[in-house]
Amino acid sequence: MTGNREITYSRRQFVRLAASAAACGPLLLSPRGASGREKTLKIARWSHFLPEHDRWLVDVYAKEWGKQHDTTVEIDLISTDQIHARASAETAAGKGHDLFMFPWPPAEFQPYAIDHTEVYQTVGARHGTVNRIGHKSTFDPKTKKYFAFADSWMPAPICYLGDYWTAVGAPAGPIHYNDLRVIGRHIREKMGVPCGLALGPGLEGNVTLHTLLYAFGGQVFDADGNVNIRKNYGTITALKYVKALYDDAGTPEQLTWGPSGNARAMQARKTSCTMSDISLLRGVEQDHPDIAKNILVRPPLLGSAGIMATPYVTSCSVVWNFAENKEGAKQFLSDFIDNFRTAYEKSGGCSFPTYQNTVPNLIRRLEDDPKADPPYKYTRLKDALHWTPNLGFPGFATPAAMEAFNSSVLPRMFISVVKGQLSAEDAAGAAEVEVKRIAEKWKQVSQSAGKKG
Amino acid sequence: MVGALLLTLPGAIRPAMGQSSSSLFNFPHFNPPPFDFNDAFYNANGISTAITALDSPQAARFGLFRQTGPPAFLPGQKNWVVDTSNTDPDRNNVRILATTAGYIDDGTGAPTQFISLIAFLLNQNFFTGVANKRGIQMQDIVGTFEAYAAPKQVKPNGTFQPTPCGSMGDPAFQNNCFDVTSVATPTLRQDWRFATNRSPIDASSPFGYFCDDILGMWIITYFWYVDTGFGPHQTNQCHQMLAALGQKNGTNLDGSPIIKTGDELNFLEGKVVGSNPIPGFLGTNPPNPPCTAEGQEASDGSDNGAVWLICPALPDPRNGAIAPDAFLDQVRKPNGVPLDLAFTANFLCLQFTGKFCNELP
Repeated sequence: MTGNREITYSRRQFVRLAASAAACGPLLLSPRGASGREKTLKIARWSHFLPEHDRWLVDVYAKEWGKQHDTTVEIDLISTDQIHARASAETAAGKGHDLFMFPWPPAEFQPYAIDHTEVYQTVGARHGTVNRIGHKSTFDPKTKKYFAFADSWMPAPICYLGDYWTAVGAPAGPIHYNDLRVIGRHIREKMGVPCGLALGPGLEGNVTLHTLLYAFGGQVFDADGNVNIRKNYGTITALKYVKALYDDAGTPEQLTWGPSGNARAMQARKTSCTMSDISLLRGVEQDHPDIAKNILVRPPLLGSAGIMATPYVTSCSVVWNFAENKEGAKQFLSDFIDNFRTAYEKSGGCSFPTYQNTVPNLIRRLEDDPKADPPYKYTRLKDALHWTPNLGFPGFATPAAMEAFNSSVLPRMFISVVKGQLSAEDAAGAAEVEVKRIAEKWKQVSQSAGKKG
Repeated sequence: MVGALLLTLPGAIRPAMGQSSSSLFNFPHFNPPPFDFNDAFYNANGISTAITALDSPQAARFGLFRQTGPPAFLPGQKNWVVDTSNTDPDRNNVRILATTAGYIDDGTGAPTQFISLIAFLLNQNFFTGVANKRGIQMQDIVGTFEAYAAPKQVKPNGTFQPTPCGSMGDPAFQNNCFDVTSVATPTLRQDWRFATNRSPIDASSPFGYFCDDILGMWIITYFWYVDTGFGPHQTNQCHQMLAALGQKNGTNLDGSPIIKTGDELNFLEGKVVGSNPIPGFLGTNPPNPPCTAEGQEASDGSDNGAVWLICPALPDPRNGAIAPDAFLDQVRKPNGVPLDLAFTANFLCLQFTGKFCNELP
């Protein structure tokens, strides 16, 4: 099943895919494939922003892996905005897929997850230690278990249209958040083009607003998991800033964009800048190189808490504890890491590895990208691991943090201020009430689990 | 003047000097004094030396401009001299005498940083867009190294100005804002803070100041007391916190407390910083509303002030890096006495003995 995300294959793209699949050659899979009764492995996976990746995964990789393991692999691709609802339905029913691949840390679904420590150990034996983002996105420091397995992540740089910014005397684009507002306003005044950070509910808005909150020193939870959204004035500062940014340089459309709305706006030159993964560029590099050449990327902006941007995607997989084929699911995950280099290429370089040695030439690859113009355009992502905190920062991705994320507490808080419905202080207060309720709920879940076990 | 300053030196140095005056300056000299970089090195690292950029009067580059006047504070005192003794192929023959003081931003706020404030960068056109030999854009490197500037906020008539003029400021106070078009020392209320400590080793930056920021550049982060912090609408909370911080650090030229560390500033901005960095103030909650704020000028130059600095810190100010003819550029009270004598002491110890004061026997 294909998800709701718009996936359109042009004839040219399809021919390219077929050619690349043919060129892919045999996969580097473990030579298991013992004969026996064929099994089934059911996978639900977030729909990658680059259709080419999913076509490779479904039509090439999964099929080949299935042959090697006497398994029929069924992959359902699900739009990122539908992932949570689908996973919730499955866990409520206690049946569904064996493996569920999320675009964010699925800490909320921890009660339905196996302990993935074994997968990490298996992979670790071949590829070393998982990186910080992967660890802090899938490990529960209280239970000392991994509730999921992280295979990749996507950095979220600033993307901007070079000609717009050059025309107002800022060829390097925005450097810090004051630039975004002030020079973004100059661009809107001069050219009628707004600055379009995604602010609405949904993955893009959620990630963007978590980044903004953190950059101004705000937090949802502190490092120990205590609710910190209102106690910390960084939240108020971030709210006031986003209101000013919207008023001075924004557009009403940014409050309602659906999935990839900001990317489409930039591809259509209707926004001077946004925060996105580089799939935004990959979408136009082949067919509209003139537009792609003009879209530049740079590291996140300097805020009062430093330079940082939460991952656009943290690809984390859960083997359900009610899965019918747990062993197959675990095997699929560890084999996927063995083949991650191909996954990286098929993702157009959007999905960065959680195991560095699977793409050992990552820096070189960024410095000399075969599709980018100039080829070194993505060099500025080379330090992305440094400036990317995990969702849940400064702590781990806890169930409460991720429920707050998935219930769009931050987008609703920011939008209420942007629209003038609440003051920054009142919006932060309302968000705090909501987050405290979520935290209390998970505290009780944890206590209940402790009594049982 | 120097004689008067010597009286302020800690006890350790006075006997050391007194024992044998001929031993002054008689220490191993293996750290060279600071020189400006040459144009080729600037260009190779993405900085334009055109007359519309680094060599413009607004940039006020040492070697071309400002030979006298601030930061020099004595009549005729020179900020730089032409000196052919340089042996570094990346530098020219302009030796910097003006040595600007600053607190290190490593959490201690120690008065140990000494820098050469060579030039001011006012907009993005100072960058050529050419990456360095490692393929890195200079503005990406510089963006992680903040030099914290504290312009004066109290006018001579005693009026407190709670917000900077220009884009960083609170629009509600734009008719009562302080100027941010200059960061010359006479315009500052306290000495600088420099984040020379940031490096990948402790994950505080993807770059190391002394290994990657080879032009010694900074992005200027201005910080100030807001209306509720030190103005007519000061809250009780800010009043108590500022009193406690003033006890700890002393007060600046405005009469507000000197801020030496990042935790102090962040805490006063209303951020939770882990533990209360202001002894004497009860509680760990930061102020709400905040007492301070910070920001950067728009990098298109529309604020008309410095956005970045060419301002390399001395990697090791000991053993000759501070030459006998160098002088200390620091914030001074109206009567000429330095605001923070700890800088004065360290500078003189380094200049006369090649060591920090606390390293003397």
